[in-house]
Amino acid sequence: MSADILSFIIFLPAVVAFALMITTKHIETVRNIAFLTTVIILALVLKIYIQFEPSAGMQFVTNVPWITSYGINYYIGVDGFSLTILMMIAILIPTAYLLLWEGRTKGYWINMLLVQAGVTGTLLSLDVILFYFFWEVMLLPVFLMIGIYGFGDKVATTIKVTVYTMAGSLLMFVAILYLGVAYHNEFGIWSFQYDSLTQITSLSYNERIWLFLAFLTAFAIKIPLWPFHTWIMETYKNAPTGAVFLLSSIMAKLGVYSIVRFLIPIFPEIYIEFSTWFVFIGLFGLVYYGIAALMQDDIKRMFAYSSASHLSFIAAGIFSLNSFGINGALYLIIAHAIATGALFLLVGLIHDETGYKTIKDLGGLAKQSPIFTTIFAIMLFANVGLPGTNGFVAELLIIFGVYEFNHTLGYISALTVIIGASYMLWMFQRAILQKREADNGKDLKFRDLKIKEIIGLTPWVILIFLMGVYPDIFIDKFEPTVTHYLNDILQIGALK
Amino acid sequence: MNELIQILPVLTVLVAAVALMFMSMYGEKFTTKTYIIVSSLALVLALIFSFIPFGELYSLRPYSNIFNDVLIFDTFSNFFHILLILGTLFTLLIGEHYFQERLYFKGEFFSILLFSLFGMMLLANANELVTAYIALEIASFSVYIMVGYNSSDSKRVEAIFKYLVLGSFIGAFYLLGVVLVYGATQTTNLSEISLFVTSHTNSELSLVYIGFTLILFTFLFKIAAFPFQSWLLDVYRGAPMIITAYMASTFKIAIFSFFLRAIIQDITPMIDFWDSIIYFITIFTLVFGTWLAITQKIVKRMLAASSIVHTGYLLLAFIALGQNIHAAYATVFYLIAYLISALGSFGIISHIISETKVKVTYDDFKGLSKERPFLAAMMTIFLFSLAGIPSTVGFIGKFYVFTEAINAGFAALAILAIIATFISVYYYFKLIAMMYFYPTKEECLSNDFNDRRISTYAIGFLAIITVLGGIGTAIVFFIPVLNIDTLINITQLSIQSLFIK
Repeated sequence: MSADILSFIIFLPAVVAFALMITTKHIETVRNIAFLTTVIILALVLKIYIQFEPSAGMQFVTNVPWITSYGINYYIGVDGFSLTILMMIAILIPTAYLLLWEGRTKGYWINMLLVQAGVTGTLLSLDVILFYFFWEVMLLPVFLMIGIYGFGDKVATTIKVTVYTMAGSLLMFVAILYLGVAYHNEFGIWSFQYDSLTQITSLSYNERIWLFLAFLTAFAIKIPLWPFHTWIMETYKNAPTGAVFLLSSIMAKLGVYSIVRFLIPIFPEIYIEFSTWFVFIGLFGLVYYGIAALMQDDIKRMFAYSSASHLSFIAAGIFSLNSFGINGALYLIIAHAIATGALFLLVGLIHDETGYKTIKDLGGLAKQSPIFTTIFAIMLFANVGLPGTNGFVAELLIIFGVYEFNHTLGYISALTVIIGASYMLWMFQRAILQKREADNGKDLKFRDLKIKEIIGLTPWVILIFLMGVYPDIFIDKFEPTVTHYLNDILQIGALK
Repeated sequence: MNELIQILPVLTVLVAAVALMFMSMYGEKFTTKTYIIVSSLALVLALIFSFIPFGELYSLRPYSNIFNDVLIFDTFSNFFHILLILGTLFTLLIGEHYFQERLYFKGEFFSILLFSLFGMMLLANANELVTAYIALEIASFSVYIMVGYNSSDSKRVEAIFKYLVLGSFIGAFYLLGVVLVYGATQTTNLSEISLFVTSHTNSELSLVYIGFTLILFTFLFKIAAFPFQSWLLDVYRGAPMIITAYMASTFKIAIFSFFLRAIIQDITPMIDFWDSIIYFITIFTLVFGTWLAITQKIVKRMLAASSIVHTGYLLLAFIALGQNIHAAYATVFYLIAYLISALGSFGIISHIISETKVKVTYDDFKGLSKERPFLAAMMTIFLFSLAGIPSTVGFIGKFYVFTEAINAGFAALAILAIIATFISVYYYFKLIAMMYFYPTKEECLSNDFNDRRISTYAIGFLAIITVLGGIGTAIVFFIPVLNIDTLINITQLSIQSLFIK
């Protein structure tokens, strides 16, 4: 049973979603059952989190044949990296439900459940084909959500995001098949497990570079790394709140996670050779998106840039390839998911209530909604990385990591953090605090947070401060994995 | 006795076809429904007979004193019989609505349908070039007639005439090829040609090369590969919707059944000769088909054009055949995947338009998800499968084909095919976007659907197969029959039976 608990976590939402799809039409029932499902999953994940032994490597492994003729296995498991992100997903989603509670349709909730199944599956798969399977499947519900519930030019947006991500995925698909064939030719059997693929030695340098780029493109589009970001602005602006939340808080992180899980272990030497470039691209993205964010008027668009900026920073941390950088990146993944997730949901709330989401149309919300403003501010500070919040710890670690990697880049990264602070605080001042200027200063009608929403957000607020003050209790869970992982990579890289 | 069991499925279909023809003489006495029931029952019977020797590895030539070894019954033909019968059966079941609404489907139509099936089944058995020609013509002529059945559509004359003239013309190529092969080898029997090929050097085989090149043209014409694809759009357009489904799925399989046999059994030693030709044909088929599919406004034509692209994927596996016998399994598996998804998608359209006369442009699909959510969901599944999205059988098919193509050293071609797949996502998803993201069009609104009928159940069943074929054991650990491995094993078994001498 303990081994199957992961499968249960993956497939429970999907099964519930299909059951709800055919049985009931009543929206409240659908929503309540869906919410209950996410809470059950949260409980199960907590159980795993407590049982997880930090020093023991891959745990809760299930490895059974799926398509035996091609050595494709249903191979899932959890280690320090995936456990941290799994925990994050499990905590984030129920709260998102509470904030999205009113005014959604049945299809919305079913899609949310399907996405959860998709992302969890992607996170836990250790067989590359299985991973690809979930990677594609998790996109489909989001595709439907944007198209059905989106705003503005939603169909064009949907097509754009689909085409973009599909392009990356299919490139990766060829690369996966190529690797599989190479393994087959070298060892005489088929296997697509990630730990088998790392053993391939027969590929030439050029082949490895192309394969590396094919994988990287797929992940870079999801993250998005510069210059693959052009899809996210329109998408985040036009997509419904739930979809934006899922894309920015969870799916983007899976892009980073996949780099750690598949790209670096399979191509360690290529990666070490070009790591300076990647750190540089990460930092460049941080600055580039930060400056772009300063100039946005639409808050959702601004958050899109801000999100891209932070994710570039996370990528820089991963690419710096030392324990500071990777620990910090993992930490920032969680910190950013919480902060950005909350911010997108809160802005969604503003949009639902007032009908506006541009800075120039908003203003004076603080007076009417003190609790809302307080929580908004906390999330904002965590996002910016103010001392005492988890964002601070994470950014500090990454800066250390980049510094250790290359002193000059380290100084640059320390300076760039200020850009993030400037656009965020400036937006906060204009949209929330300052008196409204549009419509001759007429006040907007805006409600404060409801009890349900406050209950939902409280764990996040607690987490922000807890992770900011006692980072050790969280880092201890994944640090052994990171250390072990780094040793492996550097060793293999040196050998090849 | 054992010999009789082998030929029973073919015999059943033939008898049923003749019986239906006699039934149709009393035209007024029977309703269309009766014809559908009778022919379905005959098909189910034939299916049961084909399942008797199913799953064993064998190769027999029953009644060889009568048939003189021109027909061969092995696991391969048995497997294709099952596919062909299933394809026809589902055409009937899905088309049940369409057949009853369109009054021009009279009794003899069902007889012709079964005759075409008889021809195709014979084609899967043919072990001799002239027999294959006769079987192919039985099937083709039945299909020519069915294409022209829609008496209310002015396009049908163009469709049937184009198909008939071009088809007969290409048939002449085939015969010329047979003559040349016969001139060189003194035989038309595939097994004997195979002996001749292995025992002679290349310089003595030039006539055989030319002959088989001409035969290859026929093959390319029938599967609508570039540059023989120009008939396809107009013929598919003019044919009744459900016949288009039948041609795109079942007929294609029959063509492949014979040519796979001919190539694997016969000319494997000399197949490299055609590699470069097929290489370029594959490239052009993929590019041209993709271009055609993007530019279509009518959904039926888009699906027709995209079937050219699928021909391209099949050719990709076909070209790898010389290097890698696994490519044959891939071809067969992809045929199954395509059979299911094409039959489903064409079938849904025929079901939707049964009561109306719309042209089925993309616009006509607007808001289908609100009007008929069940059908929209089914259509989405089939389109996912055609586009090769994971969790459908189409994905496994593509995985299989691309892996084997890369394994045989055609990585560049595989990348081209992936790009074609990528573009196909665009035109398939456009239809999904129409169904889900737009409000319903006024003139397409109608409230009196009756979706509780056989057509809908058949479509639903195909959709379930599509998904199960793609997920397989990941969920259904406990149902051993329904997993992908079983299917792969069966395809492998059927190909292996070709090597029994």
